[in-house]
Amino acid sequence: MSLSDATLTPPAARGPTPAQWAGGAILLLVLGFAWGAPLLVPADPLRQDLMRGLAGPDAAAPLGYDHLGRSLMARLAAALRLSLSIAGVAVLLAGVLGTGLGVLAAWRGGWVDRALVLLADSVLALPGLLMVLIIGVIISNTPLAFAIGLTLVLWIEFFRLTRATAARLLAAPGVQASRLLGFGPGYVFRRHLWPDLAPMLLTVAAFGAATAIMLIAALGFVSVGIRAPRPELGQMMVELLPYYREAPMALFLPVIAIFLTILALNLLAQGRRP
Amino acid sequence: MTPLLSATDIVVQAAGQMLVHPATLVLHPGRPLTILGETGSGKSLLAQALIGTLPQGLTARGRVTIGDRVLDAADPASFRPLWGRTLGVLPQEPWLSLDPLMPARDQVAEGHALVRGLSRVQARTAAVRDLDGLGLGRAGGLRPDQLSGGMAQRAAFAAARAGGARIIIADEPTKGLDAHRRDEICALLLKGAADGGGLLTITHDLALARALGGDLMVVRQGRVVEQGPTAQVLAAPDSDYTRALIAADPASWPRQAPRPAQGAPVLRAEVLSAARGGRVLFRDLDLSVHLGEVLGITGPSGCGKSTLGDTLLGLAWAEAGRVQRAQGIAPVRFQKLYQDPPSAFPRAVTLGRALDDLVALHRLDGARIAPLLDRMRLSPGLLTRRPDAVSGGELQRLALLRVLLLDPVFLFADEPTSRLDLITQAQVTRLMIDIAHQAGMALLIVSHDAHLIARSCDRVIALDGPLAQAA
Repeated sequence: MSLSDATLTPPAARGPTPAQWAGGAILLLVLGFAWGAPLLVPADPLRQDLMRGLAGPDAAAPLGYDHLGRSLMARLAAALRLSLSIAGVAVLLAGVLGTGLGVLAAWRGGWVDRALVLLADSVLALPGLLMVLIIGVIISNTPLAFAIGLTLVLWIEFFRLTRATAARLLAAPGVQASRLLGFGPGYVFRRHLWPDLAPMLLTVAAFGAATAIMLIAALGFVSVGIRAPRPELGQMMVELLPYYREAPMALFLPVIAIFLTILALNLLAQGRRP
Repeated sequence: MTPLLSATDIVVQAAGQMLVHPATLVLHPGRPLTILGETGSGKSLLAQALIGTLPQGLTARGRVTIGDRVLDAADPASFRPLWGRTLGVLPQEPWLSLDPLMPARDQVAEGHALVRGLSRVQARTAAVRDLDGLGLGRAGGLRPDQLSGGMAQRAAFAAARAGGARIIIADEPTKGLDAHRRDEICALLLKGAADGGGLLTITHDLALARALGGDLMVVRQGRVVEQGPTAQVLAAPDSDYTRALIAADPASWPRQAPRPAQGAPVLRAEVLSAARGGRVLFRDLDLSVHLGEVLGITGPSGCGKSTLGDTLLGLAWAEAGRVQRAQGIAPVRFQKLYQDPPSAFPRAVTLGRALDDLVALHRLDGARIAPLLDRMRLSPGLLTRRPDAVSGGELQRLALLRVLLLDPVFLFADEPTSRLDLITQAQVTRLMIDIAHQAGMALLIVSHDAHLIARSCDRVIALDGPLAQAA
């Protein structure tokens, strides 16, 4: 098949796919709720009012009350803020670390490359859950421990993908041409590497954030995560589980919140197929 | 003589656009038919329509008669029973389409066993006979990576014919090959046609068309420009396009008097040696390059000619010896042109952006771009496009423009025209040499095409593998 066919293929479509638009919209909705709810209906997520235990919605608590009479809306928003912030910080740190080291390994090659690959493979051999728990023991501030632990889990995927892609891109004549023309490493990264890396990194970041949120909820669910009374999605579920007959909606709220967040991130992760 | 294949009024369309205009052709046994055209001329599409393998989204019309069967080109499924049994396709770069883990003999035997339906033992015997006939008797047990390129080509040829196909369609069989390998493949194809088989070759290579003989169809922009016996068409072409094509063949370029080197030396190499994978490419090479001269390096593929250029430019590492640049010249004035123009530009930004980046980096005068575009006969509109939306010839001229902005004293052009069509190749080469003379820079052209080098360079270095000698 000669080039005659290549000239017939339409130019590659650019910009987000419909799935990505949908994912972005849902994520905005979740973010809007997490940070907007306390502005709309100010309430302390820790304030108990035992007289209102499992009561239905009213003006002060539009989503009702939990078994200790705390506003579910305030607690849900606080839990989402916590999970999303930890996931966001962890993905950002992991992205910078993983991409930086990946480019470094691909660029320098030799022993730098071998050492970094060995490090990544060794970290990968540890279960991610365990890593987060170990860091939690070392650092007493739980959200910070979660962020650091998750960063250490998530950077590997960024590293491996960046290293493999950058190695291929750096070998192209275009990079040699740019170096000959006098451009520095910064230009090579910006013009030759980033355009190819960015869509892939977005996918990894979205999946990484989903993993982080699930991990935080899972640890909360088995009561080794964020300590009560600080609201957290997994912990809310396990607290409300005994009351599922009396207040099914109260139990479903954190489930729906996690479902929508993960769905949004997975939709965002779906880039264009080549 | 009944024709093996005849096709009447074959048309290929995509989304209402006519890609191949009505074409009629006849393929006789023992008489090769060659479709000659540039990239994008529709020659491959025409051949694909004849055998029902058009890519999705394209539709064909017309009538194809193969043996005693009359088929409708609009119904590709009806061709299916003929694949392998009557029609065999020799793919581009056949060594890539062999199974890398299977011995050559078994790959050929598969065709005999699965397509022709012979028993395992018979198929094996037939495969051994096929390979013997191609001089590969001893190599039957070797895997493709243990075969040389030429041997792999012959094995792929045997595999393509194993199903009993009388008609072989060869799509660009010589793409990227040097003259020696081209002759080998030509002999192979002719051998298949000699015993009454049919051979349809699609190529852009004038020399291959000439060597195959038989009949020739010249295709341009989806239209058959000229059709007839090869010798006659090439000797007395009717159309202007065929004439231009023949004139653009490096073998028919006018010879020019070499100009003795006058300028100061910009680069001097002493006792330079290089090896790759334990094989010595060149040894103890002494060489100096002067301003204003055009130096050519030629030789068969893998002889180290590109490595020599890269070594002179400091991009590749020399085993021994040293390369000295003239004192006091900025490093960016030593530049290179690449074989594959699209890959030499940043892929994601427009060409104008890439040039602006360069102008900004070196604080150049951006006003110089416009007259240079004019000089290269390039439209300024090209600068708003990305590299993948510009043709190879235009892109190579833009690459030349880009390095000219830096006022190079030494330019290494690594197979700069081997991915371009004949006519474009002639234009780009001419332009490159004119500009080198005008700018007074040293130009080093590396090409596998000995004619091109001989007729465009002042001085030629012929590498032939282990030994290198300055001529």
